[in-house]
Amino acid sequence: MGAIVNLNGTAHYVHWHFFLMSVPNVVVVVLMLAVFTVALFLRAPGARRPGGSR
Amino acid sequence: MSSWTERVREFGLRNLPPEKLLPDSQPAYMTSAIYLFGALTIGALVVIIASGMILALKGPAWWHVASVGHFVNSIHLWSVELFFFFMVIHLWGKFWMAAWRGGRARVWMTGAVAFLVAVPCAFTGYLSQQNFDSQWIATQGKDGINSLGVGAFFNALNFGQMYSYHILLLPLAVVAIVALHILLVRRHGIVPPIPLADSVGVAAPER
Repeated sequence: MGAIVNLNGTAHYVHWHFFLMSVPNVVVVVLMLAVFTVALFLRAPGARRPGGSR
Repeated sequence: MSSWTERVREFGLRNLPPEKLLPDSQPAYMTSAIYLFGALTIGALVVIIASGMILALKGPAWWHVASVGHFVNSIHLWSVELFFFFMVIHLWGKFWMAAWRGGRARVWMTGAVAFLVAVPCAFTGYLSQQNFDSQWIATQGKDGINSLGVGAFFNALNFGQMYSYHILLLPLAVVAIVALHILLVRRHGIVPPIPLADSVGVAAPER
């Protein structure tokens, strides 16, 4: 089974002034920020609603 | 005079009574999914330890050649990726909750130390791959480690030493610190939300 992206080519980087990070690392950081934000607003499974039952 | 086993038992029961150690309900304020990330981190750690045990038993010739070896090797790598992913989100969540409040300083500190010890644990894992990637990382990393002045007893180019660190010393440290962290969480309880009055600087409305 092949990889989703070509892993044998030259690595790609996001470079802006002092900021230098590989694209895979940028993707992971953005994904973590997205999951963190969603988790703040998502109700935990089995959590009781305020003032009521589940 | 009581025996040491009795004193240990009394200490354990005094600090961690069964209803605190294994509670049957969660606090009412645990409504957000952000509270799940500590448990998700522990779940990933369990998979890491289990897959790592299999890799240690079978050895590099297996994880490089056999298809099942590739699979278990990938499980080990991706559970580590998820471990750090979940742990950092857990860290962010607890930082913004100011989770060291209410006498929970040791809970916070053991969590921070677990993160710091997990980093070299993962680093020595990359050095233990036994491929060109691990050689590249070792030659790149050795200068940084030498600049810290610890190269004499932590030599990134010494595979045997890095492998021992990776499969014994550092996992033991991570598991011990995480276990202590969990026991402290159970003792002090999950940190409650910051009261609204404190966060906006005015008195909370009467309910």
